[in-house]
Amino acid sequence: MSEKNIIEINQISKNYERKIALSSLSFVVEKGELIALIGPSGAGKTTLLNLLASILEADSGELLVDGKPMSQFSDQKKRAKKIGIIRQQFDLVGQLPVIHNVLAGRLADWGFFKSLFNLFIPQERQEATTALKRVGLPDKLYERTSNLSGGEQQRVALARLLMQKPEIILADEPVASLDPARADDVLDMLTKLAKEEHQTVIASLHSVDYARKYFTRLIALKNGKLFFDLPADQVTDKQLEELYQLKELS
Amino acid sequence: MLSFDLHKRKFLTVFLLLLFAWSLMGVNWQEGVMHSSGISTAGEIFAAMFTPDLSMDILLLAAESSWLTLAYATAGMSLALILALIFGILASGVLSSGKRSRTLMKGSFRGVLGFMRAIHELVWAWLFVASFGLSPYAAIFALAIPYGGILGRIFADMINDVPEEPIKALRATGASRLQCLFYGYLPSVKNSMISYTMYRYECAVRSSAIMSFVGLGGLGYQIQLSLDDLHYDEVWTFLYFLIILVVIIDGWSNMLRRRMAQ
Ligand SMILES: Nc1ncnc2c1ncn2[C@@H]1O[C@H](COP(=O)(O)OP(=O)(O)O)[C@@H](O)[C@H]1O
Ligand SMILES: [Mg+2]
Repeated sequence: MSEKNIIEINQISKNYERKIALSSLSFVVEKGELIALIGPSGAGKTTLLNLLASILEADSGELLVDGKPMSQFSDQKKRAKKIGIIRQQFDLVGQLPVIHNVLAGRLADWGFFKSLFNLFIPQERQEATTALKRVGLPDKLYERTSNLSGGEQQRVALARLLMQKPEIILADEPVASLDPARADDVLDMLTKLAKEEHQTVIASLHSVDYARKYFTRLIALKNGKLFFDLPADQVTDKQLEELYQLKELS
Repeated sequence: MLSFDLHKRKFLTVFLLLLFAWSLMGVNWQEGVMHSSGISTAGEIFAAMFTPDLSMDILLLAAESSWLTLAYATAGMSLALILALIFGILASGVLSSGKRSRTLMKGSFRGVLGFMRAIHELVWAWLFVASFGLSPYAAIFALAIPYGGILGRIFADMINDVPEEPIKALRATGASRLQCLFYGYLPSVKNSMISYTMYRYECAVRSSAIMSFVGLGGLGYQIQLSLDDLHYDEVWTFLYFLIILVVIIDGWSNMLRRRMAQ
């Protein structure tokens, strides 16, 4: 086992009742890689990300983070330092002002009284402001989060992740609800910031173009199985065509 | 399955209609509902509507009684709110971790809330007056317990209706259950909680007025005294004060709601 492998997935399977979502999937992720998960809907991308975030548990197989099984990360607070996940914009609490949604990224490090006090007098304002500046929302600190547009909310979620500073960032369709210009913006920011902080990113994406543009490695899933796993510049159009084909050619 | 459900619902409707019809027959319409001079007394009472007694001492008495009624309602409601927050949060089960402890917690605290509101405030008032006499505490507790039960139940339901996704996201950022309560659940339901509490406050003022029939003082008590003396014009003065109280609270809650909507 190499020191550099931050995630190792061995023969992992997951079924929902009778439906197979993932079947004996294996791959290894090195620290600092930018990985896009692609594949038709129902391929198992969300399931895989939820397994990695331990929102779900695998039926069989082995999942190692830093060489240790997931069960050793059962403490919510410790796991939050290792793995962070962003999904779509409904991940934020709409009624809170932006700054509190951003500072929620620090809850893992804060005790109860500090976090309660923070709701009245925001703590670590400097850091929150910096995080919001980095995602391009410097003047929305006290705006009600639900008043922001979809793209802005996604960037607030990103700012929260900056405060959380996990080593691994999981993102499930982070740009599915955004218009193309905003999607470019968010992905550009996500990958750029991750590079700066030497974070590892695994993001599921609808669009192959975005995957190729911003990520270094593409993992394609189809029917819960690995379809290909290649550096972004080695993926051919023919492979992509087969990936998204509805029926297998016989 | 669906058609069976529809069937059942129709059956229930018919059953309820029959029950209603039967209850009408249960009332003895021939005697007792109105006494002989009923019609003329009713006429006098409604005629007095346009000539409320506006003499200085009645106005002062009405103002003082309104103040008392409002004070009972406010104190009772504040206590109810505290009870409701504590029991409501516990009854929502969001603080417990395991599935089993959650079910247990939900079940037992919902039971407590059910007990609190199963008994009407007037009955509580009787009980308290019987046990520790005519004291303001009797009125305040009598209001606080059933209103705490109602508010707590509604708060618990509101908390349970908060969307899962933002809460899961908070958990994923490392928030504890208690932190989730203050960063996820409570901010999400705060506005509806305030709206509903204001609405209930209005009800509490009316209840508090009625409660004073038990002898606790306030608008209801004065209305009763004036009715006994057949001073219908005074009755209307007190009623108008009660209406003004309710209208003021309604206006205040509208103002709050408008401010929250921004
Ligand atoms: N909660 C669930 N219950 C039952 N089946 C599910 C559930 N979630 C996902 N599935 C099924 O598992 C498969 C993989 O789903 P998912 O991981 O969401 O795919 P993707 O994110 O790639 O679209 C799909 O066939 C889907 O229908
Ligand atoms: Mg999905």
